[in-house]
Amino acid sequence: MSIAVYIHSAAVLNAAGSECADLLGTPPSPQPLAFDATRRAFALPTPRLASDLFDRKIQRSVEPQGLRLLHCVARLAPALAALQLPPARIALTAAIPEVDAPSPCWDAVQAISEQPQKPLAQLLANTPPLHAITLLNSSVMAYVAEALQCHGPMGGFCSQDNAGLDALVEACQQIVEQRADAALVVSSSPNLTPALYLREPTPSAEAIFGEGAAALLLSSAPSRTTPHALRIAGFARGYSADPQRGAAVARRVIDQALSLEKLCLGDVEQIVANPEDAQLMSLFAEHPRGVRSARAMTGDLGASTLLSEIALALHHTQSASATPGHTLFVSHSRAGHWGALLLASETLEKHT
Amino acid sequence: MRTREVYVTGFGLVAPMALDAATLFERICQKQSCVREHPRFKALGFNNSAAGFIDDGQWQQIAAGFGGNAALHPRQSVLAEFVARQALLHAGLTPTAFAHTRSGLFLGANKYCADSHDLHRASRFMGETGRVDLDQLLDNPAPSSALFGRRVDQQTLHLAETLGIRDHISTHSDACAAGTMAIGSAYRAIERGEIDLAICGAVELMANELPYYMFNSLGALCQADLPASEQSRPFMPDRCGFVISEGAAMVILESAEHAQRRKATTVGRVLGYANVCEAQKMTSSSRDGSKYEECMEAAIEDAGLLSSAVQHVNTHGTSTQANDSCEALALQRVFGECQEHVTFTANKSAIGHSLAGSGAIEAVLSLISLRDGVLLPTLNYDHDRAEYPSLTFLSEPMRQSINVVMSNSFGFGGVNSSLVLGRA
Repeated sequence: MSIAVYIHSAAVLNAAGSECADLLGTPPSPQPLAFDATRRAFALPTPRLASDLFDRKIQRSVEPQGLRLLHCVARLAPALAALQLPPARIALTAAIPEVDAPSPCWDAVQAISEQPQKPLAQLLANTPPLHAITLLNSSVMAYVAEALQCHGPMGGFCSQDNAGLDALVEACQQIVEQRADAALVVSSSPNLTPALYLREPTPSAEAIFGEGAAALLLSSAPSRTTPHALRIAGFARGYSADPQRGAAVARRVIDQALSLEKLCLGDVEQIVANPEDAQLMSLFAEHPRGVRSARAMTGDLGASTLLSEIALALHHTQSASATPGHTLFVSHSRAGHWGALLLASETLEKHT
Repeated sequence: MRTREVYVTGFGLVAPMALDAATLFERICQKQSCVREHPRFKALGFNNSAAGFIDDGQWQQIAAGFGGNAALHPRQSVLAEFVARQALLHAGLTPTAFAHTRSGLFLGANKYCADSHDLHRASRFMGETGRVDLDQLLDNPAPSSALFGRRVDQQTLHLAETLGIRDHISTHSDACAAGTMAIGSAYRAIERGEIDLAICGAVELMANELPYYMFNSLGALCQADLPASEQSRPFMPDRCGFVISEGAAMVILESAEHAQRRKATTVGRVLGYANVCEAQKMTSSSRDGSKYEECMEAAIEDAGLLSSAVQHVNTHGTSTQANDSCEALALQRVFGECQEHVTFTANKSAIGHSLAGSGAIEAVLSLISLRDGVLLPTLNYDHDRAEYPSLTFLSEPMRQSINVVMSNSFGFGGVNSSLVLGRA
């Protein structure tokens, strides 16, 4: 990549807390779900949006999932404003799978359940907030763009857990190709509704989902507030629905992500991956080392997983004891997406 | 000259009353609308039952060509496979082609939307306290083709598995711009050298009760007391909203080298693309058209062209007051004194607005215009009463050879995208 792209700032919201440092605390306990006490998950209270940044009507018209995202990204507003960029030079990409529907449908389901004989048209007419604004991911993106003044290229992705990587790569490429000088990458986990469990092809009783959101600010220049910077050093994506081929795809993806820095897996200081994914963990058998994951702190955040982990990596990089080195994030979705992202923690020249 | 040229070598399409692109193109040339009264909307008591919808007869034919038991799969997946097979056949590719080269799948889709049957079924598992008995719901599985088991990226995953896509699969959910953005993303991935072969487009099945109600409550749907086929009236002063529709279209994109190596017949080229977020207002653009103008200008610049090189525009043309006035002003700003040399078309008066599907469908229709030198009329358009008479919308099909077409898609929330297509 001829133009470097840095993780400038990050914000998170999850069961561990709303600060990146909270991800290093004592793991909270998942709680029984409101609609099914036999299942546990990390639910979050719906946050209230800052009224100085968002119109009050948004609080009423956006679902909790979108509100979490908006609440989270609002904390990046000062850092973005400090860059003093024209809005047209700020890209926005989003990973918000299933952000609104089908959960609004549950209002309609409840209305039908209560009055099964009533014509559907009348039931829908009295079932807020059933309108198109809640139906489309672009609505939430528009609220972000409006509040934080980013009017450059944009893109929304809905590829399950992999959507976070899609959004990050798209944002990075917009900067590298000079269509933008900075980018907001925003993500949200799914709402904890019955639909989430029904959507999974093989619902697992052990799956501990979590509600949360994460947002990153990418920039072509690093933040100068700390002596270290976190640079995007490589990425790659692959796909295979065939588990037999999965390992080969994963190795190719990892090699490709490491190639620009001319590294091999053994050169990487830190690996971030889901330790409960046996196929994924087998990739590191030849280079045994600790694999980090914040999943125990948050539950499975879906599309917000990667961005939350990157936020934690940025927190490490910005700590006083940070040392230069590479962190490799490897992801594997239930559907067969493979992704690898290499971040380089570097000491900034003026601080050396 | 770009570092890597991107060729279009095939396409597939299903729209209301048309099971392939040629049929749809011919219907519009003959000024036959695909919009009808939706029997279910009528039965449910909706005020206006106009819609573009894939009917039972079409679904039977789509299911017959499915490579498995269609009843066990969501309709989105069945439709995606049907359209993909058309596109592969057109491009002269076998389904295994994607497994043997650097390949990607980029599909636009918005939300899975429950229909009234889904909602009624789920309501049976809701207790008096309003809690869903999830175990009971899971223990009484509906076919996978139904209920809330559907997800927005289901058709992407189905196609990826069926075709053995190797490198990149993504689902784009950018409202009405999603189809165009999927094609644009595939174009960029090939241009960057990440992949050599892509199948891209959109699948959208939103002509059902919940989306109807949602868009209607927003005031976006036409509620005029007109026959169904006359309700969508893009760029006319009496326009009052769009007609909800559904459909799917996909195109095969290849790097020039890949297409030439296998001696593929080229249908057209993708010359440029831009997507811009404006967030001006949730349901309309800047009133002076400047934001749409920025998007179109960026796409033309990406193509390395001047606006005078664009000879035909497939407009977004939703038939809402806000969109059409913003787009008309933007077109006047982009083309200025050249506008008399440009022709325009708006397909949604014939097909309805299939949201994500619309951008992909309109891209395919634009490619046929480029290939065959036939420009499509805009149904329900009357030049004598037009609000923007300086823009030449055709009332009749016109035979004219053209080299460059721009196709616009502007989504709710200010997701703007423009695609510039060129003749092979």
